[in-house]
Amino acid sequence: MFEFLFKYPSQVFSRGTFVLLSSWPMWLFGVGLVIVGAGLAWLVWRPGSPRAAGTDSPRMGGVRSVAVWLMQTAMAALLLFLLWHPALSVATLKPQQNIVAVVVDDSESMSIADEGSSTRRDAAVNVLNSSLIKELQGNFQVRLYRMSDHLERIEKLDQVTAQGQATHIGESLKQVVDDAASLPIGAVVLLSDGADNSGGIDLDTISEIRRQRIPVHTIGFGKEKLSHDLEITDAEVPPRALPDSRLSAMVHLHQHGYAGQKVKINVKEDGKILNSQEITLKADGVEQVEQVLFSAGPAGVKTVQIYVDPLASEENTRNNLVTELVSVDDRKPRILYFEGEPRWEFKFLRRAVEDDKTIRLTTDLRTTQDKMYRQLLSDQDANVDLVDGFPTKVQELFQYEGLILGSVDQAYLKPEQQMLIHQFVDRRGGGLLLLGGKDSLADGGYQNSGLNDLLPVVLPERKSKTYVIDAADVELSKEGRESLITRLDEDPEKNAEHWKKLPYLMNFQDPGTPKPGATVLAYSIPRGGGGGKLPLLIIQPFGLGRTAVFATAGSWRWQMLQPVSNMDHEMFYRQLLRWLVNDTPKRVTGSTPKSVISDISNIKLRAEVRDTTYLPAGDATVTAHILGPDGISEMVDMRPEPLELGVYSADYSAPKEGSYAVEISAKRGTEDLGSDTISFRREDGVAEHFHVEQNRELLEKLSSETGGRYYRPDEAGKLAKDITYSEAGITVRETRDLWDMPVIFLLIAGLRAAEWTLRRSWGVI
Amino acid sequence: MRLRNASVVVLVTLGAWGMLLAQKPFREYEAREYRLGEIPLPPDYNQKTEWTRARLKYPATGTLHGWYDVFGDPVDGGPLNWTIDYPRSDRHLLAGIRRLTRIDTRSVEQVVELDGTDDIYNWPMLYAVEPGHWALTDAMADQLRDYLLRGGFLMVDDFHGTIEWNVFRRNMQKVFPERQIVDIDNKDPIFHVIYDLSDRFQVPGWQWSISHKTYEYDGFDPHWRAVYDDHGRVMVAICHNMDLGDAWEWSDDPRYPEKWAGLAYRIAVNYVMYDLTH
Repeated sequence: MFEFLFKYPSQVFSRGTFVLLSSWPMWLFGVGLVIVGAGLAWLVWRPGSPRAAGTDSPRMGGVRSVAVWLMQTAMAALLLFLLWHPALSVATLKPQQNIVAVVVDDSESMSIADEGSSTRRDAAVNVLNSSLIKELQGNFQVRLYRMSDHLERIEKLDQVTAQGQATHIGESLKQVVDDAASLPIGAVVLLSDGADNSGGIDLDTISEIRRQRIPVHTIGFGKEKLSHDLEITDAEVPPRALPDSRLSAMVHLHQHGYAGQKVKINVKEDGKILNSQEITLKADGVEQVEQVLFSAGPAGVKTVQIYVDPLASEENTRNNLVTELVSVDDRKPRILYFEGEPRWEFKFLRRAVEDDKTIRLTTDLRTTQDKMYRQLLSDQDANVDLVDGFPTKVQELFQYEGLILGSVDQAYLKPEQQMLIHQFVDRRGGGLLLLGGKDSLADGGYQNSGLNDLLPVVLPERKSKTYVIDAADVELSKEGRESLITRLDEDPEKNAEHWKKLPYLMNFQDPGTPKPGATVLAYSIPRGGGGGKLPLLIIQPFGLGRTAVFATAGSWRWQMLQPVSNMDHEMFYRQLLRWLVNDTPKRVTGSTPKSVISDISNIKLRAEVRDTTYLPAGDATVTAHILGPDGISEMVDMRPEPLELGVYSADYSAPKEGSYAVEISAKRGTEDLGSDTISFRREDGVAEHFHVEQNRELLEKLSSETGGRYYRPDEAGKLAKDITYSEAGITVRETRDLWDMPVIFLLIAGLRAAEWTLRRSWGVI
Repeated sequence: MRLRNASVVVLVTLGAWGMLLAQKPFREYEAREYRLGEIPLPPDYNQKTEWTRARLKYPATGTLHGWYDVFGDPVDGGPLNWTIDYPRSDRHLLAGIRRLTRIDTRSVEQVVELDGTDDIYNWPMLYAVEPGHWALTDAMADQLRDYLLRGGFLMVDDFHGTIEWNVFRRNMQKVFPERQIVDIDNKDPIFHVIYDLSDRFQVPGWQWSISHKTYEYDGFDPHWRAVYDDHGRVMVAICHNMDLGDAWEWSDDPRYPEKWAGLAYRIAVNYVMYDLTH
């Protein structure tokens, strides 16, 4: 239709430049238009005409005569403008002198049979064989390529087998662009489902194509939505954990055709199901995020599979499973619990974590005015640890990964010790937990201490006591229902009910107002408070570390008032203390962006290195020793990141499928700064089973960004004609007249017809 | 009307349940040695604090040593062995703990019973005097076992000689049939948590001022024994052939030698502190 009206394809208009071929100046057009307009005005309002004669016929009133004049002037202007010979100047490819690169997606997703009864690959080959190749060959040289995770030139279409294990459109196009530097490539025709699994096409590639002015025309294959499919699109699992920790996997999924159905998300490791959780599927196409809990188990690298069993009539069952790696560190974080007075909470907190093989709790209790009672990890520490009470040196405090302050008046801690605690959280990345008590929080004067800004609450400035020895019930907040710290029951709703049924707290404290960015996980509800509630458990990140307030010293009743077999108190404190130290970094901390790379080999290794005082070490020598499958053993030097002090990185290409262990070690001169071991896994043949619907959005965007056009397979016949207009390759500039476009004549005829129709309706003809 | 009756039943049930769960308030009892009100209440007796020591009210055998128990008394339902030294001894000891440590303690004790309610679990430190006379029912023994395994601590004192030991042991076997009563090693932290108590001696009761003997019956030697839990922590601290209760009770009387009172306080402070740290 467009071409019928405008004589040329839309490509000509989008790529061409408008020109006037007449040598007459444009001011002449203006003058001519004024004269013609005036002449027409004279004709309409001339003396003797019904309007000018004063008859003031209602049939040709003021507005009507103006409308007639406007239509006549518009038509005259149009005719006058055509005398200036409007045209389009457009670059076209010189016949037989340019190359058109035809790139056919050869990845496994093209083997899906959702193009009628044939596969996407067959449909693409059919499009090419039916006429497109021939038509292209009529004007151009055609080079055939097949594309998967790399680009490869082929001679025949038989070589497209749809067995490639990944689709890297960006990298493939880059290679075509590279070829264009030495070859007159005038255009690229990409036949694909757009199911790219390299993370999309980067801006550099798009910019390079645009710089070379090569239009990329795309022909999309495959359904844009599968009728029956469930896909786990992602699973967020913490890459590191402490042994026997409870972990949370945030599973992202969507589906078509199974809305409202109940399915089970399973978590499996080494053939053993760690947990299953039943969920109800949301509406078609809606992204759904579900939390599944599981235990990290003993130390070691765990390959965790998260999956949903295939559903009835599911079209693609291989996107129901994702694999993640969890490195369960064989470390036993040390926590210092400094308590200012002997009390039940101290005893029962110690007991709660006593059987936790991971947490190593050292306690220092002020028993009398001048006596401290240390409970150390071993007798060997007796001459070293806490000999002079609370640590005063970086090395003393920074050996711990978490710190608990009980009922300790802030005045008992010297300013330099308070500063040390601040650095412990901010710089060391340690966790700080403050418990309620008669000498804690506001009653301990912390609002006027150097620790005030560490706290997740703004302490009250009241003069009356905030610590009250009276019964208080507990209620979880919305966040607390789902938090791993307060999770006593896997189901969030049951968890909330579970907490409501806990024995009341023996005491509570008003911790003030939560600061912005802090999260309240639980509230205390004083029994004599008329139903009002106070924040009880508040957490927040601070610097590299984290802080929490548990505004009571009366949770020991959860232990004493419940049966011996009940583990609520133990579970709560173990989970809280694990949160406190789980993310406390070592001096050398390695990481990778993803723990599992699917069908790609490149991975970025990253290490944060700090010195003995936990300041960033920018002058370290950092090496990564990589051990991989089939005896792979490589040493890679890591380079400092220019804008991040103490951060080192290296790009590594994992040559084979399998698991890799990377030991990152850092030295400064002869000083050993430490080491860290991380793991990642390369999996092949996975990516092509995800996001298998046609990614039309990506194909359309690629075309529009490069000056090409997206075609459906049934529109491909137009491509050969459209492709001529390109500024890449060897081109010639042509001018295309516009005066004889059918739309011009239709417009003129339309104006006349409109005037005639109006006049008829007014009865002046 | 039916609805009203049902509401009353619900309220009464809830009230009863609340009573079972809630902490019982402080109350004084008629004692064998002190009449009710004879020892004035400290002015701050009602103050809410972090800690206090509970005294166990238990039923006694009634007969022992071949004759009807001298403390047999119909008041409050039976023999009053559990009230020996009460409340003077308790008040003195609590004042000592308040002075010698940083424990935020009440000035008065709390009397608790193994009565099947939850009240006793609110008081994790328990003291029982004259356990050589106690006669725990099976239900009481079950509750005491439960109390100790949840984390409670029991200190027993002021029982002497073989006969009373056997009574205590039989009752203790009802509580823990499978656990042994053992001597506490000198190296155990319970003797070092505040004071080093490697050198200990027999602490006699007030009867010493009359008999000039540090022992009673055939309890010639003091024994520092315990029942341990599975983690090697003392659950039941047993002071046999000594009378620490009298030592606290008479610690303000110059006729009672300071060395015994001093040791009794140090032992109590150590046991209390041990409980709060283990």
